[in-house]
Amino acid sequence: MCCSHGFISKIPTTPPPLVSRRTHFAIPSTIRLPIATGSARSFRTKSAATAVKDGGSSVSESTVMEDLSFYELLGIPETVTSVEIKQAYKQLARKYHPDVSPPGRAEEYTQRFIRVQEAYETLSDPSRRAMYDRDMAMGIHFAFSSRNHSRNDENMVKSEWRGQWQSQLSGLRRRSMHKESGKNSSWAARMRKQREECSS
Amino acid sequence: MSQEQVYTVASDSDTAEDERSSAPFPEIAIGVDIGTSQCSLAVWNGSQVELIRNTRNQKLMKSYVTFRDESPVGGVTNQLSHEYEMLSGASVFNMKRLIGRIDTDPVVSQASKTLPFLIQTLGIGVKPFIAALVNNMWRSTTPEEVFAIYLVELKSLAQLRLKRPVRNIVLTVPAAFSRFQLTRITRACAMAGLHVLRLMPEPAAVALLYAQQQQQQNQQSLSDSGSEKIALIFNMGAGYTDVAIIATAGGVSQMKGLAGTTIGGEDLLQNTMHYLLPDMDNFFASRGVHEIKSMGVLRVATQDAIHKLSSQSKVQIDVDLGNGINISKIIDLEEFEEVNKDVFQKCGSLITRCLNDSKVKIEHIDDVILVGGCTNIPKVKNTVMSICKKTEIYSGINPLEAAVRGAALEGALAGGVTDPMGNLDLLTIQVNSHSIGIRADKDSFVPIIPRNTTMPARREVVFTTAHDHQREALIVVYEGDEEAVEKNHMLGYFKVVGIPLASRGVPEINVCMDIDASNMLRVMAAVVMPGGENPVVPPVEVRMPTADDGHGLCADVLNRSFGATMDLVTLRNKAA
Repeated sequence: MCCSHGFISKIPTTPPPLVSRRTHFAIPSTIRLPIATGSARSFRTKSAATAVKDGGSSVSESTVMEDLSFYELLGIPETVTSVEIKQAYKQLARKYHPDVSPPGRAEEYTQRFIRVQEAYETLSDPSRRAMYDRDMAMGIHFAFSSRNHSRNDENMVKSEWRGQWQSQLSGLRRRSMHKESGKNSSWAARMRKQREECSS
Repeated sequence: MSQEQVYTVASDSDTAEDERSSAPFPEIAIGVDIGTSQCSLAVWNGSQVELIRNTRNQKLMKSYVTFRDESPVGGVTNQLSHEYEMLSGASVFNMKRLIGRIDTDPVVSQASKTLPFLIQTLGIGVKPFIAALVNNMWRSTTPEEVFAIYLVELKSLAQLRLKRPVRNIVLTVPAAFSRFQLTRITRACAMAGLHVLRLMPEPAAVALLYAQQQQQQNQQSLSDSGSEKIALIFNMGAGYTDVAIIATAGGVSQMKGLAGTTIGGEDLLQNTMHYLLPDMDNFFASRGVHEIKSMGVLRVATQDAIHKLSSQSKVQIDVDLGNGINISKIIDLEEFEEVNKDVFQKCGSLITRCLNDSKVKIEHIDDVILVGGCTNIPKVKNTVMSICKKTEIYSGINPLEAAVRGAALEGALAGGVTDPMGNLDLLTIQVNSHSIGIRADKDSFVPIIPRNTTMPARREVVFTTAHDHQREALIVVYEGDEEAVEKNHMLGYFKVVGIPLASRGVPEINVCMDIDASNMLRVMAAVVMPGGENPVVPPVEVRMPTADDGHGLCADVLNRSFGATMDLVTLRNKAA
């Protein structure tokens, strides 16, 4: 395999470290956002590197993933070419596609892959990438903290999907209240919507 | 053992792979390709894929089951004395075309007129009645049962050859299969005591094989494995046609588009039979022993003629159908192509649709991969090649074995096998071939997960009520790509209750769908009121499909009983 392109290994968070504080953070903390996966929270201003540092003590890896920008998620600098984006995506897919997950971790890998996919789909489309870059430069981020949710999630049972989804819904709800401003719904979801509107 | 062990995987890829190979894994799953007309088995033997031959040394076995007084026999073990034996009414074949279809489906009604066994249709949207002639009596069966009988034979063959119990299989399926058809296939496998590890669209299996070949070539030539190659896979068998566009680099094949339709060699055969005997439907309608025999004679003669037309420009047909009816005719290639114009046109439009969906430009296609028996037909080959503006077909793949070989690779991958030579450092990233959505905005189909979305996937759309003070909403889930909802395939339905009293357009009904890595579809719905933070009632989660054979009828009844009282409209439309 060709898994050692330089730019991949430089970024400390890539591949996003797997959960090592295993008893504390249940797998499903990565499944928290079934709706408009992951993408949304990438706007948080906190840098990935800082998050990782915190992560050493109290922040779960999945939370870190949610804080990552699409670039950080793919482990690439913001200046990369589209060829490099593709390469990075394929390497991460090779690693985190649920088809290649170790036994019992398909669900976790599924969540992870969906995020990577979202990042890739955005960054590999030049116009969407430009919009994403612009939004990022403007520092658009969420009005609510995903952290609060993740804390609540700690005592969640593994397969408690419904519960997770409920908490997500409340998040969604809060986002949709600000729908008019267009700033608080998932970035990718908004883009999808815009495209739908254009095409319909 | 531990949770611990599973969780301590380091972030480093190499150790992650070691972990995978050392963990206790299930047996290596065998790859199975049950075609409409032929079937094959393959398995990863530790260093490469090997096809499993039956006791008559065949790699390709005919797909049929003959019913007799004693236990039925299938094409894996049975030796036909002549092809007519398969056409005596006692054998059921083409089950891949028939499984999971209702009697209003044109595929079923066509089959009922041209196949020698009994397919009774009432045209009311239920399962057709299928029967085989045993001792001059029609004995009923089902496509699932026929599949299961056949799979039992395949299973014992595999066990004999591999000298171990076989339980897990990776089965290839056409891209056109509905989710309902997939559940029927899974059910047939369960009846045969087999566990389906993956149901893999045929082009996905071919893509995996192609990825392996590219990987091996790159290793040999030490070239840059990062360079991406775009390939178009065109797969036309007896029952179905699939098209896929894949981008391959470094052992990873990423699907850009996938499309499938129920056309194939069987349609060419049926059209040509009708051409030779225009009054065929009436002629065979009574389905007596004599008619069945003549039908068999005509079928065999037509099939031979079509095969010959792949290599010669005209063919003489002479058949005696009994009762003084003789057909003596020369068919040339032009006539054959004219008679089957529609089929070839559909092939072309399927390719065009897939190219458009995938946003891949024709000039970027590096390889055109042809798979399936029908790609030997000159017109099919020309259609594909001219759309792709290519003169050379990708040569590294055996069109009749590619799907089963890919399935065997997936069987090894899914079993966690690794290969020191790197021959299994492979992955296909798949897309779904049909949109999945719900009925909303009156009778429209509103996709939630559009076709060609990379899987696993999760998408969500917000709807609202259509009426003032609407307390309940009916979520009817469909799969397909038709705008008119009833033309799609209903997968199931459920009600969302407890919507608070409000004007129409106020309550928000979130409908979320996800498809996981094993292609399981989950539909969730929750009601949220503006300003509220939580769903007002517990959300509903349903695994689909839940609807059974009579889904066509079911949609009618729902419509009759509830009309528009529980309708939804998309929130976007409301705003507009």
